[in-house]
Amino acid sequence: MRMRTLLRTAASALAMAFAAALGATTADAASCANPRQMDGFKTCADVAKAEAEGELVFYTTDPPAGTTEVMNEFMKAFPKIKASFVRLQAGNLMAKLMAERQAKNYLADVMAISEMTFATDLQKRGGYAQYDSPEHAAYNAAYKSKPEGYWTWGALIVAGLAYNPKLVAANEVPKNWPDALNPAFSGAINAKLSTSGLQHGAWYKLRQMYGDDYWTKFGALQPKGFDSYVQQFDRMVNGQDKVVHSAQYSGYLQVKAKGAQLEFVFPTDGVVVGQQIYGVIADAPHPEAAKLFLDWMLGKPGQIAMQNAHFLSSPRTDTPPPPGGIPTSQMKVLLVDDWDAYMKSRPQFVREWDKMMGMR
Amino acid sequence: MSASATTPPAQAGGAVSDTRGPDRRLGRYLVVPGILATIGLLVIYPVFFLITESFNLGDSGVFPPEEMGLDNYRNMIEDVQVLWNTAFVAGIATVMAILFGLLLAWILTRTAIPGRARLERLMELPYYMTPLVGALAWGVLAAPKTGLINQLARVFGATGDVVNIYSPWGIAWVMALFEGTVAFVMISASMKSMDPSMEESARVLGAGKLRVALTVTLPMILPGILSASIFVFAEMLSAFAAAFVLGIPSRFVVVTTAIWQSTSAYPPEYGRAAAMGLCLFVVLAVAIGSARFVLRKGSYATITGKAFRPRPLRLGARAWPMVLTCWAYLAFAVFLPMGALLLTSFQKFATVIVGDMRFTFDNYVSVFHQGAIASALKNSLILGLIVASIGSLLVGVLVWVIFRSRAPGRGLVEYVVMFPQAVPRLVFGLGLLWAWLIIPIPIYGTMWLLGIAYLTVLLPLGVRTLAGVVLQIDKSLEECARVCGASWSHQMRTVTLPLMRPGIVAAWLLIFISSVRELGASLFLMGPHSKVIGPAIVDAWLTASSELSAAMALVQTGVVFIAVIFLLRITRRYSGEPA
Repeated sequence: MRMRTLLRTAASALAMAFAAALGATTADAASCANPRQMDGFKTCADVAKAEAEGELVFYTTDPPAGTTEVMNEFMKAFPKIKASFVRLQAGNLMAKLMAERQAKNYLADVMAISEMTFATDLQKRGGYAQYDSPEHAAYNAAYKSKPEGYWTWGALIVAGLAYNPKLVAANEVPKNWPDALNPAFSGAINAKLSTSGLQHGAWYKLRQMYGDDYWTKFGALQPKGFDSYVQQFDRMVNGQDKVVHSAQYSGYLQVKAKGAQLEFVFPTDGVVVGQQIYGVIADAPHPEAAKLFLDWMLGKPGQIAMQNAHFLSSPRTDTPPPPGGIPTSQMKVLLVDDWDAYMKSRPQFVREWDKMMGMR
Repeated sequence: MSASATTPPAQAGGAVSDTRGPDRRLGRYLVVPGILATIGLLVIYPVFFLITESFNLGDSGVFPPEEMGLDNYRNMIEDVQVLWNTAFVAGIATVMAILFGLLLAWILTRTAIPGRARLERLMELPYYMTPLVGALAWGVLAAPKTGLINQLARVFGATGDVVNIYSPWGIAWVMALFEGTVAFVMISASMKSMDPSMEESARVLGAGKLRVALTVTLPMILPGILSASIFVFAEMLSAFAAAFVLGIPSRFVVVTTAIWQSTSAYPPEYGRAAAMGLCLFVVLAVAIGSARFVLRKGSYATITGKAFRPRPLRLGARAWPMVLTCWAYLAFAVFLPMGALLLTSFQKFATVIVGDMRFTFDNYVSVFHQGAIASALKNSLILGLIVASIGSLLVGVLVWVIFRSRAPGRGLVEYVVMFPQAVPRLVFGLGLLWAWLIIPIPIYGTMWLLGIAYLTVLLPLGVRTLAGVVLQIDKSLEECARVCGASWSHQMRTVTLPLMRPGIVAAWLLIFISSVRELGASLFLMGPHSKVIGPAIVDAWLTASSELSAAMALVQTGVVFIAVIFLLRITRRYSGEPA
């Protein structure tokens, strides 16, 4: 009898838990049960409310010139919403956002940041609002938060090797990552100075593939460090450096489009991929406009605008490649397989990278 | 008034005697607390947050810190090379800048050279350019291998590089060129306020021109020189752009570039940045203390009751080397860098390899086409105008309290006011962010907060500019006015303020220009609708292209120059001076 009661209780608890879970799933799904078809994308946002809010504030690490273009495209689609943005580097953006949240002084609606550690951390701190965009369906599961709806990779930052063909002899052109360690590039190779997501990804993957030794040898080349790809490519085009290590493909496409002489190498062992992570911020002052913007951004119109403005690659498979570029489907992509290990390695990465670039 | 009539003459550089009744004494004891309360809100309040953060050993995203200790200070031992680099570059750059400023100020205020008025106006030009712009331009001119100067030298047979701007001396050179103009403005304000009768007396007694300059002029303008030295040294300690653009390629790191690195990546090391920033203030405090010690020992009143009309030295044919010196400075600080920038701004992609150059107007089209840039420039000009006007008034009061009153705690006011100068703006901006975010006044993300921030970080500039001038005004002039029955306000209006005018105008000008080109404090405090031009140019350089940033910098420089000319003309018209 006692056993039966116990079983009955357990069964009812299980049933209740299942029902609760089902209810929650239904509730979540309900928010997107009937997404509204807009011009080129679907949304669960209340468009009328979003337009009544009349404003959208986007926090981003993306370049301002390109972001202005993206915002203008969004405002063309939704002229009643005035979209503006604040652009800072990852650390500074984090400081601003965290300080605002602590003071309960909210400005940001949506954020795009190139730093998985921060996105994951912010999710744990309750900094993202959960919004299951109807456009999520077009995205690979590896590119989305768990559970879904907190953040999504809205752009891929592809990195390989770039060189100045006037300075690098044909037989010295690097074909893979180890080739970049050629002593002929000593004092004439540069990399990004900042310890942001792309560099961490490159450090993590190449260390995994070629051992600690890879970066020790790279440090021995006395690499020059620069804050952005703009200076990296400027130096190479000017003949001050021969090779750019972990060169952003988007930067290469932009400089190449202007007629500069430089070449990009997709290493045979794979390109490193960073990510621009989009999410709606919790307590956003314009919540419906935030949802609408995220849907538009993750949808085809936003992705095309992003590719045209920033030359980054879309994680979607149904959009054309960035101007002058090739789609990521034609590249061998190196993705981090263990995000926990990646995040734990961050302090070691920062210390070693700073030392290698002469910052400590 | 009878009490005033029996007042013994005050010692020059000393204090006004206190025989004006209990109300005045009460007023005096209220003035400094009032000033301290204002300055406290502006400076000490954010500094409190910075000091707290410097002990933060835990999560940098949480404030106040959950885990505190001294490790950020202890760990600076690892950064000893960075600290040494900073001291070395700041030291040599300050010496160079003061030499430039002193020489130019003497030539343009104490000698009669052809085209003096025009040259004096042109001397302000380097200050219109942001330091980032100067560093970028000198990178184009004097980079090893590809710099235009090195390319030209190779045409004339040089085998290696004749100059290398990517070196400690290169960084110091660029910093000195662009701070030299600040030293010039500060020192020349002192020189303009100086009664030439002392120099004339020395001449009458048979001293040569050089001897007069070294033994009479130089000692009399010591307050101006010391003031300028302290300010320039503080600027050098916290200078970022030149070290960032020119130091990083040669792996030469100073405190500000280390701070940038600590704060821009994730997770940011604000504790380390705050500790490093606060240490710079200790260095500056020693410098201020030394200057006060030197100034306390002597009297520097050169503006006395005797009417004077500055009579510049006539140098005859020897004037031409002086003219050449001025033009050489302008060539290095303005024309060559502007030329390099102009070249870059018309390129499709920035290159110094002549054969690869492709030209376009697109960068200027972008500057004028992108509404965000125009709006940022407009915001900066509005802020500059308001901050300079309020700031010069506040600075006038502060300088008066620090250097003219006997109010207790006036020395402390000087140290407090100078604090934002020594701490790198990026770090101080963080303190301002934390401080103003929690105040329940809805100004975060608006121009108001930027205005308050600019006022705070630019107070030292105004105070140091005006300090040299105020120390030169003989107190007996004011006492005469009071003895003759003038009220305090009448004395201020008819005696003190007219004598302080060159200093106030210089302070206004410097604050205005500094506001327009401000970068560090703006980064954290800008909102989506309160963007300003300084960060926009840096952003363009970091993320768009050198060509676009060059075009933006040139437009900014031009607009500021025109604005200053326009404003000065209006000021002169209304004050009855010839334009």
